[in-house]
Amino acid sequence: MNASGPDVLAILPELLLTGGALVLALSEVFLRGERRGYQPVVAGVVSALAFASFAANASEPARALFGGFAAQDGLAIFGGATVCVGLFLTVLVGAGFLRVRAAERGEFYALLLLSAAGMCLLLRATDLLLVFVAIELMSVPTYALATYLRTGQRPAEAAFKYFLLGAFSSALFLYGAALCYGATGQTSLRGIAAAGGGPLLVAGLAFLLAGLGFKVAAVPFHMWTPDVYEGSPTPVTTFMSVGVKTAAFVAMLRILVTAFGGTGLAGTVAWGPVVQALAVLTMAIGNLFALTQRSVKRMLAYSSVAHAGYLLVAVAAAANGAVRAEATQGLLFYLAAYTLTAAGAFGAVAMLERRSGASAQPWDLDQFAGLARRRPWAAAATAMLLLSLAGIPPSAGFVGKLLVLRAAVDAGLVPLAVVAVLTSVVGLYYYLRVVVYLYMQPPAEAQEIPVHSWATDAALLATAVAVLAVGIGPGLLSDAATAGAKLFGG
Amino acid sequence: MTDFPILTLLVFLPLLGAVLVGLLPREEQGQQRALGLGFMLATLGVACWAAAAFDGRAGAPEFQLQTTVPWVKGLGLSYHVGIDGFALVLVLLTAVLGPLVVLSAFSAVKERVKEFVIALLVLQTAMLGAFLALDLVLFYVFWELMLVPMYLLIGIWGSERRLYAAVKFFVYTMAGSLLMLIAILYVYFAVAGPGGHTFDYLEILKAAPKLPRATQVWLFSAFAISFAIKVPMVPLHTWLPDAHTEAPAAGSVILAGVLLKMGGFGFLRYAFPLFPRGAFELRTTLAVLAVVGILYGALMCLAQRDMKRLVAYSSVSHLGFVMLGLSAFTVEGLSGGVYQMLNHGVSTGALFVLVGILYERRHTRALADYGGLARVVPGLAAAWLLVTLASIGLPGTNGFVGEFLILAGSWTSRLANAPVIASVAAAGVILGAVYMLWMYQRVFFGKVRHRENERLADLSGREWAVLAPLAALIVVMGVWPQPWLDWIQPSAERLVQRMGDARAAEVGLAPISEPVFAPAPPRAAPAPGAAPGHPFPQIPPNILRQLMRRHH
Repeated sequence: MNASGPDVLAILPELLLTGGALVLALSEVFLRGERRGYQPVVAGVVSALAFASFAANASEPARALFGGFAAQDGLAIFGGATVCVGLFLTVLVGAGFLRVRAAERGEFYALLLLSAAGMCLLLRATDLLLVFVAIELMSVPTYALATYLRTGQRPAEAAFKYFLLGAFSSALFLYGAALCYGATGQTSLRGIAAAGGGPLLVAGLAFLLAGLGFKVAAVPFHMWTPDVYEGSPTPVTTFMSVGVKTAAFVAMLRILVTAFGGTGLAGTVAWGPVVQALAVLTMAIGNLFALTQRSVKRMLAYSSVAHAGYLLVAVAAAANGAVRAEATQGLLFYLAAYTLTAAGAFGAVAMLERRSGASAQPWDLDQFAGLARRRPWAAAATAMLLLSLAGIPPSAGFVGKLLVLRAAVDAGLVPLAVVAVLTSVVGLYYYLRVVVYLYMQPPAEAQEIPVHSWATDAALLATAVAVLAVGIGPGLLSDAATAGAKLFGG
Repeated sequence: MTDFPILTLLVFLPLLGAVLVGLLPREEQGQQRALGLGFMLATLGVACWAAAAFDGRAGAPEFQLQTTVPWVKGLGLSYHVGIDGFALVLVLLTAVLGPLVVLSAFSAVKERVKEFVIALLVLQTAMLGAFLALDLVLFYVFWELMLVPMYLLIGIWGSERRLYAAVKFFVYTMAGSLLMLIAILYVYFAVAGPGGHTFDYLEILKAAPKLPRATQVWLFSAFAISFAIKVPMVPLHTWLPDAHTEAPAAGSVILAGVLLKMGGFGFLRYAFPLFPRGAFELRTTLAVLAVVGILYGALMCLAQRDMKRLVAYSSVSHLGFVMLGLSAFTVEGLSGGVYQMLNHGVSTGALFVLVGILYERRHTRALADYGGLARVVPGLAAAWLLVTLASIGLPGTNGFVGEFLILAGSWTSRLANAPVIASVAAAGVILGAVYMLWMYQRVFFGKVRHRENERLADLSGREWAVLAPLAALIVVMGVWPQPWLDWIQPSAERLVQRMGDARAAEVGLAPISEPVFAPAPPRAAPAPGAAPGHPFPQIPPNILRQLMRRHH
């Protein structure tokens, strides 16, 4: 592998994120006193810089990096920018959350930045080896973050579960990569596509899909999601639901399309129907299980599974070569919209989280009761975000659904689109139930007054405004997603 | 000033009002109400301006005052608004009801007034937008946007079981409209305009009617289910009694007055003209369901003990008439259906205002809690009587004109067994008289049976101000329907023509030279100062002529 200057410049965002992580981790060693206010600022600035360097490269033509191990293309840039936005919002949510709990440490932000670097790398990886390394770089910091607060049973359970199943899924992925190598003698995605192959390669594809299915929380690989999402500190959950999802979905799309979407193999390996089946299961199970939750955080966890289902619809549509660009655009737009919306929604959860009374549910719906009377703006922002999650116009979530459904209908997957809309009607019910509590229930008697934190409030308001603005004028973001859908060598 | 975007102003003026009300301090409830009322009145003014600018002569372009701004170019989405005769009368209805609703709630809503006024204004924008949109996705956006404020109106300011009713309302309507979204996307790909795929209504209108019949049946069904839920047609009506019963009076007025009209309008604007072959295939089903709705709604009314529930079921019955008229596909049927939509908006809107006034005084909706009120509140009794008669369709009130046209139109239509269908529907008119008069009798006649009722206050000046315009409309629209029908009829003729053409293309005939009724001879612009010729309910002359010709 020969690293030329331009290649290094292309991965400037990853370098920035890693550098930021090192600065934050090391500065903690030399820190005297308890003045940690600089940490979120550094993390925020680094994520903004990484975003800027992605944006600055937006018009570059797609090309291979490092002799074909990675690529600089629309997918990597749009996905990377989305991850950076998710990171920034996580930092905002986290700053308020940790301050209130007196748990600020440099490690928190350092691990976030490292994981984000892994995500950006995963977004551009075009070789199964690099994909695996990037998955590990993304995942290992999140295992640690899941147990960051260290108190109580839930974090331990969550982290342990996440680690075990995460390691299991990595192993599955690695096994799949090995089978692919065995079948073709190649690890690069384009090499696999060129070589083609028989049943061994199909088995490899199955394992790769299963491994990635764990990461995106697709049914039946979703079992860990509710427990881990609920048990992890809320900012970490935020990051998992937006960052990990974005990176893993883009990687899934890239692998399926580049390595298994060509003419050589398309006839023998029809992964479209498999992804369709996964999508149907994921949408149905995610929405149905979310119905019964009283914990808003757990509800959002299941809702994140359901949204993975809608994203899988886009992936399934991408199996059809004719609508691939459209489907990719829909996927990217949906990911960006979901990043904004889910980050804001988890921000609301973080704001209202109960801190005392171990017996009571800390994220019970009661916590949301009557918020409209106490804090009308926060309630309006939360309602806006929930409506976007439900896909009601004018919101970013609606445009995302529209684009994904458009791709599905164009690919001839009308039944799949019908399942998608029917399951999202189920989704309406549980999102609206939170709105009911926000606006139509009196505040519970012994309710804690949530501590104001300007950072969390800013995240909440900014995402709500952005979600509405994208819903009204989606042109800018959809153009960016169109540009992002230009896949190197796809 | 034909270039001025009147319609855009019309749609977004209430939204501007909502923003300004949002900026007022929370305590200033009087200011919030006044500003809300002011913006509603201003919207009414703009609607009248649009009506004045609208050229209703035959031969005038179908959609007028259009504005088009690209919205998302890559997707073929545009902000495209325009107005035709159907939309115009419904916009006027919406604009008239808007200020009355705000005014009627001055004393009923005392909590969270600010949010209440904002919800009403946003709802106004959404409804006007849905009537005026000429882009399928724009329409869908406004259509869904209507749900949110209505959901809040029911859920926050409603009565005991409001949460159940609000969620049921939302989920029911959304389920239908999402199916419509898929159909919209399907049409989008099935139809290619000159600039690639587009959501533009006018482009799709050119190509969609040519789609194969089987496709059209599916697409028509998807649209029709969505609209039928909104109308609502039996058996998809079960959300309506709950929503109406639990909604605050103002919410019920808007729900009955305008929101239900969205369903009928959807059929007229989208389901029928875009998929005529599908429509022909399923029109008998529609008509039969409409008649079932008329009878079922009327019979349910007879079983109600709750006033609001009774009025809600009467809506099911009345909207059944509307749908029967629309599915006749004749000029009278369509005109009558649209005219009946207006009537229902005015008279049922007024009825809900009256029930609200009574509820405010006694806090009960049970019929058994009233009786003998005619002596206590003569003003209320008089207003109620007028509205009751309009709802029954007594000649001289607006209801008569609509029902007559509908029954005439469906009798002469090409529906299978049209005379049978029309006759059965006519029985609904009698049942309508039974339940309305029965309610009136139980509330106002006899002795005062409850001591609480002896001291009820009669209508206040403000309440008269709400009811007077509605009463005036009931009489004027009953005696002099011509101006409204002049707006409606060219659109109805166009739609009939369109359906006839599609039918002809289907069977491979030349377009029927004389459709069921010949298009009206071009009307000259009315001479200034020309007095209306007939003091009595005047049926459009050409329709009457056609009717005579048919039966001799």
